[in-house]
Amino acid sequence: MKLIYNFILVSVLMLCPASLQADTSSTAPDTVQSHVPETSMATQILSDANSDTNEVAQKQPEFTPPDERTIIVLPQRNEAEAKEAQEVASAENETDTGAEEEGPRIHDPLAPVNKVMYHFNDRLYFWVLKPVTQVYSHIIPEDFRIIFGNVYDNLWAPSRMLNNLLQLRFKAAGNELIRFLVNSVAGMAGVGDVARDALGIKKQEADFGQTLGHYGIGHGFYLVLPVFGPSSLRDGVGLAGDRFMYPLTYVSSSDLTFEESTGIYAHEKVNDTSFKIGDYESFKESAIDPYVSMRDAFVQHRKKKVEENRSNSLSHARKGL
Amino acid sequence: MTLILCLIFPLSAFAGVPLEAVKSNVDKVLDVLRDPSLKAESARKAKKDKLRAISEKMFDFTELSKRTLAQNWSKFNPEQQKEFVELYTSLLEDAYANKIMAYTDEKIVFSKEVALTEKTVEVQSRVLRKNGDIPLYYRVILKDGVWRVYDVVVEGVSLINNYRSQFREILANKPPESLLETLRKKVGKA
Repeated sequence: MKLIYNFILVSVLMLCPASLQADTSSTAPDTVQSHVPETSMATQILSDANSDTNEVAQKQPEFTPPDERTIIVLPQRNEAEAKEAQEVASAENETDTGAEEEGPRIHDPLAPVNKVMYHFNDRLYFWVLKPVTQVYSHIIPEDFRIIFGNVYDNLWAPSRMLNNLLQLRFKAAGNELIRFLVNSVAGMAGVGDVARDALGIKKQEADFGQTLGHYGIGHGFYLVLPVFGPSSLRDGVGLAGDRFMYPLTYVSSSDLTFEESTGIYAHEKVNDTSFKIGDYESFKESAIDPYVSMRDAFVQHRKKKVEENRSNSLSHARKGL
Repeated sequence: MTLILCLIFPLSAFAGVPLEAVKSNVDKVLDVLRDPSLKAESARKAKKDKLRAISEKMFDFTELSKRTLAQNWSKFNPEQQKEFVELYTSLLEDAYANKIMAYTDEKIVFSKEVALTEKTVEVQSRVLRKNGDIPLYYRVILKDGVWRVYDVVVEGVSLINNYRSQFREILANKPPESLLETLRKKVGKA
C-alpha cells in the first residue's frame, strides 16, 4: 500500500511542462541538481559563450580560395549571394521588418536526450497529472484552491525578496519583505493576500536563474528536466539556488520526511495545475513542432523576464508600489 | 476617452487610436463569447463563424505571414505565398478558436501603447485570471488608415517568432512545398 502511495506521489511529481510559469516558480528537489558541482557549471557557461563567438571568427577565413577553380566560381556565387541579399533586403523593407528583432535562440546540443524527456513529461501530463488534477478540482472548491495557492506562494516570498535584492531592485525587494510579513501575520500564513488586496502591494517576481541572467550569464544550453519541463543550464542552477531560499528546505527531516515534502510539492503542483488545465493541450494543438515551439517559448519568456527586471532596476521601478 | 489617454501618455503620438482599435475588436469578441443565445453547444459553429469574421478584420494575416517567414518569404513563389497565408490563417483560427471559446469570465484590461516604429505600435493588455495576471500584448501596423494586428505577445512570447522558429527548422533542409504539405495536413486534421 505504501509502495503504491509512493508511486503516486512520485508520478504526480513527474508532471507537465505545461506552464512556463512553472519553471520560474516551482521547486527543485535536491536530487535533480545537487550532484553537479556548481563551479564547473559556471565555467562551462562561460566557455560555452566564448566558443560561440570563436566559431564565428574561425569560419570567416574559409572564404579564401584554396585553388584556381574556386576563384573562377567564386565571383558568380558572390553575385548570386548579393542578389539574394538584395531580395531579402527588399522583402524586409516591404514588410517593414527592420524594427523586428530576430527572436532569441538557444544551443541544444542535448536535443536527443531533451526530446526523450519532452515526451516523458508529455505522457506524465496526460496519464497522471491531468487525471489527478481533474479529480482534485472536482473535490476541492475553487476558493480553497486559491487559498492553497496563496499559502504556497507566500513561502516563495523570501526567495523573491533575496533575488530582487541581488538584482538591485531594492523597492521590489522591500515590497516582497512587506508582503511576506503582512501576509504571514495578518493573512494567517498567507491564506489571504492581504498585502495585495488591502495595501495594493503586488507580487514582484524574481528567481535565481533570472538573477544569473541579470549579471549577463547566458543560458549555456537547453535542458528539458523531468517534472520541471523546459529549462537550461543556467536556469537549472537557478532552480537549485531558489531551493536554498525556500523555508521548508530548512525544516528538519524529523519534522518533515522526504515523503511528506514530496507530497507537499505534488500538492502544490496539482493545485497550480488546476487553474491551467487546457493550456498545455491548446499549446500542443497550435504547434507544428511542439518540441521546437516549447524551446522557443521558453527562451523568449526567460529573455523577457531578465530584461523586464533589468530595466526596472535601472529606472528604480517606475511603477512604484 | 481619447483626451484622458492623451493626458496619461503624453509621449504617444498616436493618442490612443491603436489601443482603441484593438480594444473595440476585443470587445466585439467578448460580446460574442458572452452572448447567451450562442452559449448552447449547438451554436458552436455559428459562434466560430462570428469569431472568424471579427478576426479577419482585426488581424492583418498577410503581414503576419510575411513577418513569420521573414527571409524565407522570398523563397515562396506568389502562388505558394497565397496558399501559405490561407493555411497559416486557418491553422491559427482553429488553434485559438477553441482556446478563446473556453473563456469564462476573465477580465481584460488595456493599460497602454508603446510605439515600436513610425507605423507599428504595441498595445498592452492584461488578462486577469483567478491565480494571477497574464500580460497580453498586441502589435499593430498602420495600413490604409487602419490599425491591424500582426503579432500577439503572451508573457513575452511572440507568436510570429515562435512559429518562425518552427518553420525555420522545416525550411532549413526542405523546400517551401513540403512546409505547405505539413500545413495542409495539420489544418485538414484539425
